[in-house]
Amino acid sequence: MAAIETEGLTRVFGRRRVVDGVSMSAPDRAVYGFLGRNGAGKSTTMKMLIGLLRPTSGVARICGVDVTRDRMRAARRIGALLEAHGFYGHLTGRENLDLSRRLLGLPATEIDRVLAVVDMLRDGGRRVSDYSLGMRQRLGIARAMLGSPPVLLLDEPTNGLDPDGIADMRRFLRELPDRAGATVLLSSHLLGEIEQTASHVGIIHEGRLVVEGELSRLKADLAPEIGLRVDDPDRARAVLRTRDLTLSKDAEGLVARLRPGDDHDQVSAALNRDLIAAGVSVFAIGPRARSLESIYRAASTPIPSRHPETV
Amino acid sequence: MLAVLSVEICKLNRSLALLLAGAAPALIAIFAFAMMMRSQRPSEWSMWIGSGTAIWAYFMMPMCVTALTALVAHMEHAPRSWDHLRALSVPRWTLYASKAVCVIGLVLIMSAAMLAMTIGAVVLGGLIKPETAAAGRLDLAGHAWTLAKVAAAAILMIAIQFWTAIRFASFVPGLVLGIGGAFFAVVATSAKQGVFMPWQMPVNILATEAWRVQTALTLGGGLGLVVLAAAVIHLARREG
Repeated sequence: MAAIETEGLTRVFGRRRVVDGVSMSAPDRAVYGFLGRNGAGKSTTMKMLIGLLRPTSGVARICGVDVTRDRMRAARRIGALLEAHGFYGHLTGRENLDLSRRLLGLPATEIDRVLAVVDMLRDGGRRVSDYSLGMRQRLGIARAMLGSPPVLLLDEPTNGLDPDGIADMRRFLRELPDRAGATVLLSSHLLGEIEQTASHVGIIHEGRLVVEGELSRLKADLAPEIGLRVDDPDRARAVLRTRDLTLSKDAEGLVARLRPGDDHDQVSAALNRDLIAAGVSVFAIGPRARSLESIYRAASTPIPSRHPETV
Repeated sequence: MLAVLSVEICKLNRSLALLLAGAAPALIAIFAFAMMMRSQRPSEWSMWIGSGTAIWAYFMMPMCVTALTALVAHMEHAPRSWDHLRALSVPRWTLYASKAVCVIGLVLIMSAAMLAMTIGAVVLGGLIKPETAAAGRLDLAGHAWTLAKVAAAAILMIAIQFWTAIRFASFVPGLVLGIGGAFFAVVATSAKQGVFMPWQMPVNILATEAWRVQTALTLGGGLGLVVLAAAVIHLARREG
């Protein structure tokens, strides 16, 4: 059973379909990176997962519990760090946690436990208004962990952090499934953040889940690419027309997308030979790294421009 | 519900709402003290406490309810904590009901504080200026009962202000409503129809005509509880 699962999850605001038939599945103990640009539908999907918004249609389940039908039971299985922390600045970190602890009916020992997990035992007695943004984020994660829910939902946890804070948070998030024994759904619009922390990824674009899977597998499934920098791209295109590959152009030059199974080295050597023989000067040629960015670009490019020039 | 209520009480710790709860009754007591210092001859206890009660019911309480509901609502609006609270495994209606109970509780405490502080101010004034010391018997139970009825008649006003303050994240709608209500209550005091206006119901408890008192209590208290229940149900069911 998946820790987080949705089927055809849809939410319409007026005439706008903000989330459109999202079917996602986050396996147990995964760090699931939920990626999409601002306004893609991430926050709306997350709000439906924690029962703040009712889906127009479709189902969201947390550890098998339908969020719409049994919100209270589903809420006991999920802890959330939302974009707005909702802390009371005039109270201390410990007092803020204590309010949530009492509402959840948990023992007082929970406060020290979650403060220890986020390394904030020493700062718990200070007023939240004196906390840095990074400390507030960590306190928010501590609050989400009250009662040890099996699912943690973290909305943009590195938002507003300085570079050191981001590095700390990334390290912390990678360790979170082991520290807290939970499945983590991590939303972000930052590719690097997801790439460095997530084991699984789901990309949402214009309300639709366009890619989902284990990050390493998605990268492995990417067609190999070769980057080319030449003096005359038009002639290079004409020369490579006979080759069985897809050619496109980006800011760094030409990109040759090979067929799955093709060998980088052999194809690079052959392309180089052909171009030199045709009198095209080759400045650089080599394999492109398979990155989440490649997956994201391929998945989120608008449909009309998704068909590059084929030669 | 008790756990949620205790959490609401804890949130008041070091809050502006609590400061207001202490400051507003103190202002009436300070006014009573100043009047005693100006006075040349003694007045009855009933005059001092009656004046305080009238000021409280007529003007200070409507303004305090406006400010109090706005401050209590903004404890959640300002840090945008509603999403966190509404996502917890707690029945949502209890979040709003406990807040409403907390506001009514604070109004009762302020009423009692106004009575206690005014008595204290009159006693202090009598000690400083013995020739103006209050005369007659202090009918503490009677005055407390009147203030309890004033608070009961204010429930409709509290419910309307509470609903508005929680519904809108901005201060403005609640303040406009409260200031407008208090303004019309003051300028239309003598109007017969005034008893049907929520902001005038508390002061109508002090009216000499029995029908006004009954109407203020029945509408203010009875209808007030109905409106309060409707507010809690509406707020708990709405999204966001």
